[in-house]
Formats: sequence, C-alpha cells, structure tokens
Amino acid sequence: MIGFRNVTKQYAGAARPAVDNFSLEVYDGEITIFVGPSGCGKTTCMKMVNRLIEPSSGEILINGKDNKSLNETELRRGIGYAIQQIGLFPHRTIAENISTVPRLLKWDKKRMRDRADELLELVGLDPDTYRDRYPSELSGGQQQRVGVARALAADPPVMLMDEPFGAVDPIARHRLQQQFLDIQAKVRKTIIFVTHDIDEAILMGDRIAVLKEGGILAQYDKPEKLLTEPNSEFVANFVGADRAIKRLALTCVGDVQLEPVQGDGQQLPHVPEDENLRDVLAAMLAGGTDRVIVLSCEGEVRGTVSEQTLRSLFRAPAAERAASGAVQ
Amino acid sequence: MAERILEIIQGPIFSRALAEHLRLSVAALVVAVLIALPLAALVSQSPLGSLLAINISNIGRAVPSLAILALALPFLGLGFRPALLALTLLAIPPILINAAIGLREVPSSVVESARGMGMSGLQILTRIRLPIAAPVIFAGLRTSAVQVVASATLATFIGGGGLGGLIVRGLQRNSPEFQLAGAIPVALLAMATELGFGGLQRALTPKGLRVGSRSRAA
Repeated sequence: MIGFRNVTKQYAGAARPAVDNFSLEVYDGEITIFVGPSGCGKTTCMKMVNRLIEPSSGEILINGKDNKSLNETELRRGIGYAIQQIGLFPHRTIAENISTVPRLLKWDKKRMRDRADELLELVGLDPDTYRDRYPSELSGGQQQRVGVARALAADPPVMLMDEPFGAVDPIARHRLQQQFLDIQAKVRKTIIFVTHDIDEAILMGDRIAVLKEGGILAQYDKPEKLLTEPNSEFVANFVGADRAIKRLALTCVGDVQLEPVQGDGQQLPHVPEDENLRDVLAAMLAGGTDRVIVLSCEGEVRGTVSEQTLRSLFRAPAAERAASGAVQ
Repeated sequence: MAERILEIIQGPIFSRALAEHLRLSVAALVVAVLIALPLAALVSQSPLGSLLAINISNIGRAVPSLAILALALPFLGLGFRPALLALTLLAIPPILINAAIGLREVPSSVVESARGMGMSGLQILTRIRLPIAAPVIFAGLRTSAVQVVASATLATFIGGGGLGGLIVRGLQRNSPEFQLAGAIPVALLAMATELGFGGLQRALTPKGLRVGSRSRAA
C-alpha cells in the first residue's frame, strides 16, 4: 500500500504550491487514477512516489516505510515506470530495452531473454519478430506497448504510469487500454495512473482521485460514486455534463436482468453480451428501436433489454447497481 | 623534379619531420579529448553551462591557428611543448562543442525514463547519453583531427618541427621540391585523417541510431 501523508510540494519562487497537503491511500492490486486539468499537480504527485521529485513536506509511505528512508536507485528499480513520451533507448534493441531493470538487478542472460519474450507475448508483440528490432522501427502504439513491457520487466509490485497511452491515436489507445486491463487482471499490480482524460480515468480506474489546480485533492472515490455523487461543482464539471451517459459505460449488458424474447424479434439490433450499456443505448438510437437482442459470446440469443430497463437501472441507487455487476 | 621529391621523401630529414608531425598531432588530440569530454559531460548538466561552453568555444575557434601558435611563444618559448599547447587549444573547441551539443540533445524523455528505472547518474552517462551522442561527438573529433593535422604544419614557426619544416626550408632555399615534399604529404595526411575518422564515426554509431536515421529519411 502507498500512503500519501500531508504531502506538499512548493517550488522556490512559485506563488502557490504545486501540490497542497495531499493525503490518500493507494490500495494494493488496484489502479488508482490521478486525474485533473493541466497544472493540477497530478504528475508531480506521482513522481514523488519514486523520488524523481522530493516533497517539501509530508511523507509518502510504501508498505509502511517512508520512501525517503530507502535508497533512491533501489527504490526506483522496484517500481515500474512508464511515461507518455515512452523514452525507449534508441540505441538498444526492443529486448534490451525491456531488460533494462533486470540488467541493473544483474539477472543472468537466459532469465532476461525469457522474461523479455514473455513480456512481448503479454503485450501482444511477436517475440521472434520484434525482440531484435530497434525502437525507430516500431509504430507509436508498438513503442508504447514496449514501454509498458519494460515497466513490468522486473515484476515490480508497484507501477507508476504517466499517460502511458497518450501518444497514440484514439482507436489504438482504446485497444491498448482494454489490453492493459486484461494484463492487469492477470498481474494485479498496485498502479498509480496519471491522465487528464476523464473517460480514460473512468474506464481504467478502480479508484479515481480528482485534483484541481494548485494540487488540491477535490475528490477520491470509486468511478461509480464520482459520477453519481460529485462532491463539488468543480468535480461535476470536470467529469462532464454527460456523466449520466458515462455511468452507462460502467456496466456490461450481460450483467443486467434480461427479458425473454417476444415474437421473432428479428428486426431488432443485436449486441454482444460484453457490450457496455452506453453502446447498447447507441445501438437502440441507431436502430430506431427501444429494445435490442443480447447475444452470448458464442452468438446465441440470451434475451432482450429495453430502453425502459436502462432507465430503471439509472434510477436505482448506485450501491445496488454496483452489486448487480459493474465492470472493472 | 618528381625524382628529387621522392629522394627527399626517402631521406632522414623527411622521416624525422613526419614523425614529429604525427607525434604532435596525436598528442594534441589525445590531450584535447581528455580535457574536452569530461568538460562537456560536466557542462551538459546545466543548460547555462553548455550555452557558455559552446559560445566560448566558438569564439575560441575564430582565433587563427597561427595566432594561437604565436601567443604560446612568449610564455613557453620554442619547441615541442608550446606547439603542443597551441594545437591542443586549437583541438578542444570542436570536440567540446559537439560533445556538449550531442549530450544535450539526448531526448529528455530518454534520460527521464532511465532515471525513473533506477539508473545512477554515471550509468545514465555511460550507457545512455554517451552512446546516443557518439555520432555527434565523433563528428567533432573528426573536424578537430583534420584541423590539428593541417595546423601542425605551422608548428615549425615556433620550433615545434613537423612537415612544415620542409616547406620553410624549401622557401628559404627557393627549392620547390622541398616545398612540395612537405606540402603534398601534409595534404594527403589531412585527407587520410578525414576519411579515417569518418569511417570510425560510422563504425561507432550505434546500430539503432543508424536504423532510425534511415527510416526517418525514407
């Protein structure tokens, strides 16, 4: 667990602190998002964890230990680090890039090679094709995958990720996000993930910390809670006027109570059961109907869901909806 | 005339002059590298430092070679040492400028990710920044080497010896053979230096950077 205790960062000559009395707990095995407008201190907060930036006051506890008591380079070798600009080493092959921390930790050659192949596989790049290439031979999306693989290399329990999918186009980003969630389901790292994109925060986060300008923590909650009960006008505005629609995106249609199909229902649009409710609503709107047919992953009809059901789900209290199966 | 030139080149005067020339050039280059590289690593830590180093070096480069040699004379007198000092001063600026620029232009994201993964300052310098800056550093070394080999011809004016001695001797005796026996080898030596360091530069450019420049060009 990572604990921020009254952390303040005041740069010399700055009128106000970059981070102001910031306290929160980051829970093990969860993705905690730091989100906020630019200049809100979210990256500064993250970089204080591995001491790339030192706080002016307050402390950061990692498993109960003040991170200032730990050796700087050893601390960083134990924390995965991935940034938007990726920063792959251009003079080193993909496998060598991934093996950066293992090499610092003096793993033997075979172990490093096996681990690099395993990670390439994990992030969806064929090891035989990519291990000996150089970063400049890869596309932006491929480079970001390598960046994530490199951060995971020494299997650190904690990862810091600063807009790790920021440098790719929206479609590739969405795929990377989904892929990363699949990876996280397997590896269960404790992750601090910085983004300015509230949609990414809601998609990726187990918990979300919304920061406002001046490095002040505005709200720290699960995504569901943030969308239903923003605690201030700032948070409500930041999560957006479309937060009702965003809430729909948190639930899979397969997790709601389905109704049996009446008649043949052939004219109705079909959606797969892992589609989220926002996309289901979009399918209804596009099809000009108030009902869609839900198919199982094998393509069999599971039942139907109506616009009425979506509306009623919306009125139900958050806790109940979460219990009925909010995704992620 | 060609026969006379060959005769001079095969004689002891020439071989001594050539040896002096090479000794002077190599020594000046080695000392310059030993001074310029650590200095570049040091100044590249701060933007102001590298700016200062680059600008001072550029001013230094504007001083003509002969003037530097002449300036060494009152302080160190005649001989090998003042010539070495003058040539070293001449060799430092191109190496320092290129090394400072090369080190500074390593992308900050690359340095940051290295730091974030737990590399020490020395590891970042030797494993990341120097290899990435190597092509630029070698370009500076090449400029410097050619300049030193060419300028060592003037060392004879302050008693430093070298192939310039043959040219001066030729002028004094009004013997074009002696002049050419000095001038042609100097020209060839400078060209060989240029080609040799060019090859070294290509050989020492990390493969990933070559691949990069090719795909960027495509």
